[in-house]
Amino acid sequence: MRWVAADVEMFQKAAEYVDTVIVPLLPVSFDAEMKQHASMAEFTGLLTTQLEKQFRGRIFLFPGFVYMKDEVDSLIALNHWENTLLEKQFHHIFYVTSDSSWRQREKDLKGNVLWIPSLSLDQMQDEQKRTIVEEQVKQLLPLFIELWNEK
Amino acid sequence: MSKHRVSRRQFLSYTLTGVGGFMAAGMLMPMVRFAVDPVLKGEDTGDFIATPLKTTDINTEPQKVNFKFKQKDAWYESEETGTAWVFKNEAGEIVALSPVCKHLGCIVDWGTDKEHPEQFFCPCHYGRYEKDGTNVPGTPPLAPLDVYPTKEKDGFLYVGKAEPRKGA
Ligand code: FES
Repeated sequence: MRWVAADVEMFQKAAEYVDTVIVPLLPVSFDAEMKQHASMAEFTGLLTTQLEKQFRGRIFLFPGFVYMKDEVDSLIALNHWENTLLEKQFHHIFYVTSDSSWRQREKDLKGNVLWIPSLSLDQMQDEQKRTIVEEQVKQLLPLFIELWNEK
Repeated sequence: MSKHRVSRRQFLSYTLTGVGGFMAAGMLMPMVRFAVDPVLKGEDTGDFIATPLKTTDINTEPQKVNFKFKQKDAWYESEETGTAWVFKNEAGEIVALSPVCKHLGCIVDWGTDKEHPEQFFCPCHYGRYEKDGTNVPGTPPLAPLDVYPTKEKDGFLYVGKAEPRKGA
């Protein structure tokens, strides 16, 4: 389910079935890395959209967590997100990001960080984009299924 | 002091009409195109969409087929990928099932549950369906998988819009 009114309505009727959230982590900056960060957002966006399509009955895809790349407090802000989400009935949190700094910070988070190196899609044909994203998604699906099967 | 000199205000209002004109044209053009387009598109396949699957390649084992179609929402027309599970049933008829779980909409897979290799399986809440799409009682889904109407053209499989199974 996605962050749109119709899906929220569905969620409210079936909340007990939806125990997993995906939060895309999207850095923003305005200097040399600006373009790279935009690519990351594009890529992460496509990827999470596809994941949601596969698992829409069990996953809630939240709008991205957007932060300035040099913001030191983004970890604290994200901690607040996850505490709130865990207090609600969500059991599993997945952060999908291309920003490698979250790999080091994973230990301070309760959710799982899925770090995916970003590809700049702007030079690619649609067909190629689709294949690449689908390939990535295929590799991610078992991670979710395994985690669900654990308990 | 000529009467024909264009004052600033007049100039502005001319320009605005100009821009407005452009905008109107910009809005009308696509509308005209929408109206004309279906006529221009030759292919008389009705609402059926071509899949890359040859009907001779369809056997009794369900296989996943992806096909592309255009979807329009209020703003964009985008190319979407649809999926069907296709196989021949005992009577030799082609069956194309929608992979969308009737519980809450996850994508079902064929034979991925080790204990039930001859069923469709939904990884989200372990919903199951018989090969013909009938939901297995006691699992979360309450209805059978939707069915695509199918047809064959030039050796390839075409599918229509998935519909809830009749008489179920
Ligand atoms: S969405 Fe398939 S069993 Fe719940």
